[in-house]
Amino acid sequence: MKTKLLAVTAGLLTATMLASAPAKADVKIGLIGGVSGPIAAMAPAMIDAARLAITHVNDQGGILDGETLVGVVGDSACNPQGGTDAATKAVNIEGVLAIVGPHCSGAVLAATGSVTVPAGVVVVTPSGTSPEISNIADNDTVFRTVPSDDYQGRALARTLRERGYDKVAVAYINNDYGTGLANAFRGEFEAQGGEIAGFAAHEDGKASYRSNLAELASGGADTLVLFDYGDGTGLTILRQALENGFFEKFVGGDGMKSDAPINELGAENLATFVASAPVGEKSASLDTFNALFKEAGGDPDAIFVTTSYDAAFLAALALEKAGGDKAGVAAALREVSNGEGEPIGPGEWSKAKELIAAGTAIDYKGAAGDHNFDANGDVPGTFALFEVGADGFEVITEMK
Amino acid sequence: MEWIGLLNYALFMGIFIGIYALLALGLNIQWGFAGLFNAGIAGFFAVGAYTSAILTSAPADGRIGGYDLPFVIGWIAAMVAAAAIAWPIGKICLRFRSDYLAIATIGVAEIIRLVIKSEETLTNSARGIAGLPRPFGEWPYVESQAAFLVLVAAIVLVVYLLVERQFNSPWGRMMRAIRDNELAARAMGKDVEYRRLEAFIFGAAIMGLGGALFAHFNRSITPEAIDPMVATFLVWIMLILGGSGNNRGAILGAAVVWTIWSVSEIATDQLPHEYAVKAKYIRLFLIGLLLQLVLRFRSEGLLPEPLRGDQGNSGIDRERSVQS
Repeated sequence: MKTKLLAVTAGLLTATMLASAPAKADVKIGLIGGVSGPIAAMAPAMIDAARLAITHVNDQGGILDGETLVGVVGDSACNPQGGTDAATKAVNIEGVLAIVGPHCSGAVLAATGSVTVPAGVVVVTPSGTSPEISNIADNDTVFRTVPSDDYQGRALARTLRERGYDKVAVAYINNDYGTGLANAFRGEFEAQGGEIAGFAAHEDGKASYRSNLAELASGGADTLVLFDYGDGTGLTILRQALENGFFEKFVGGDGMKSDAPINELGAENLATFVASAPVGEKSASLDTFNALFKEAGGDPDAIFVTTSYDAAFLAALALEKAGGDKAGVAAALREVSNGEGEPIGPGEWSKAKELIAAGTAIDYKGAAGDHNFDANGDVPGTFALFEVGADGFEVITEMK
Repeated sequence: MEWIGLLNYALFMGIFIGIYALLALGLNIQWGFAGLFNAGIAGFFAVGAYTSAILTSAPADGRIGGYDLPFVIGWIAAMVAAAAIAWPIGKICLRFRSDYLAIATIGVAEIIRLVIKSEETLTNSARGIAGLPRPFGEWPYVESQAAFLVLVAAIVLVVYLLVERQFNSPWGRMMRAIRDNELAARAMGKDVEYRRLEAFIFGAAIMGLGGALFAHFNRSITPEAIDPMVATFLVWIMLILGGSGNNRGAILGAAVVWTIWSVSEIATDQLPHEYAVKAKYIRLFLIGLLLQLVLRFRSEGLLPEPLRGDQGNSGIDRERSVQS
């Protein structure tokens, strides 16, 4: 029985491997995302956006000597087990030269630690926001096109101090997003001389948060800083805080900058509510991407689609620049997006290809930002503080 | 595709199979031999992983630990900690029978998961602990993977031999007697509660070791890794499919299930792109289907519990214990 089973397994293995022998002319990059698992609803749009970048490359002359760029989709299931499994297959079986993803921070940490860093494959994650990713000993192979939660938390703290907030209470959702933001915020706010009068995590999906709010309010702060999602638990908390008068002023992170609170609670009740959010919103690159993605049948407002597109397009540019040499991709990635050179926008592959061939420096201006990577491979986000006006959210000030 | 890539993939699968084999062996002690329905494998896995992570990681601000100890100490401590956590849990929960015990252990595992996810000073909460040392981690990729596989395989072999020896000793015979007929065992003067607790702690320690190996292999541990789907139910499927009550079955089950889980993705990738994303779910379907087929046609598992001299007529019992 055992030998028969082993034979069957071996047969299956061989069959799939024979079937997956690649055509010689393909250049592959891995698109590893949380297809199944907790972010299953977000992942398809992100993968579609990355695929759009690949389509642009192939429609405009292909990569290197006109070869086809192929995106190999892997499922990280949003956990370390799936992340390492998908990355191992992408690197070893498919032979990818770079990876876009994984989507979740835990999967990024595991896949880089056990697979891609030892194998020397560049990883560009479009949505791993955990500050831990900055600290990976990565030989400069781990990048991201989404700002670390650290940046937003710190920028928000500085801006609030400038605007005269002295004493605040912080409530955050208990996941890596909320924890990362809240801790960065607390550190910077206190360093700037502010006082944190309450600091507590909450689990999502409860019916009432009044006891949490009462405890936070007992510290005597008149401002609640809320790191949560405006179409979920954050809305419940905001409503209950308003109804019961626990706090006078409210501040949210980017998750709270959603239309749900305005629709549900009314703009007139949110006069003291401000929220921070990334701004790529006015750039020409973003308009271009929105038009292109809509044309391809995608929803440009879906979360992380801009960062996914940029990650894939940057990976392709770096591959072209490095001449398809895996070892040179990391250095090339920094070169194609260091703020110096001829600007390249989303979809401008043929122009970029010509410039690279001519040896001219290029600088990719992405849909989600300029992507000038720092020493850790992180991008500084550009954020602004928003208030609720007559027509939805309006910018009050840029955050630095 | 080069042969070196295939080799690397095989090495990776070997390591994962080894880690899951440890979890399945631990569960086999609890379920296969003592009849304890532990549905909280993820909890002990997590305790082991985090204990070792805290002891061996570099110092960090804002949390305890970071003692920078060698990984061997971390791994031993992982077993001790998992056993120490299992003791009070077993003391309270083992008074429950079968399905009640399952519910209680699921609850305990969730408590452990939520504590880990929330406790900033202990486990760095939702962000997890990264930057763990990995044995042979400084070596080049292929060599490092191969060396880690050798290490994991050696550990699995040692655990297998020790557990096998334990099962064939009078202790193992007594455990089976308690599982198959508790009243009779009690009438023979066996201290049933104490023996069950022994088996529970013994199994939990091995699960903790599996967790520690997993954390060091990935150089990081995050709360996402202790999702019940991948850390509890997948292990159950491995043991049921391989054959509960048989240590070789537990290891074989881990190998078969993980191979199918991992390799089936390569097969579904051959589909056109429109379907490739949707097809990822076929893996979940395949594992479920496999379990159904095994339970229907071979309910004792691929490698059934060996018939020992002392229980030649217990085939019916075995069948019942697998199906319950």
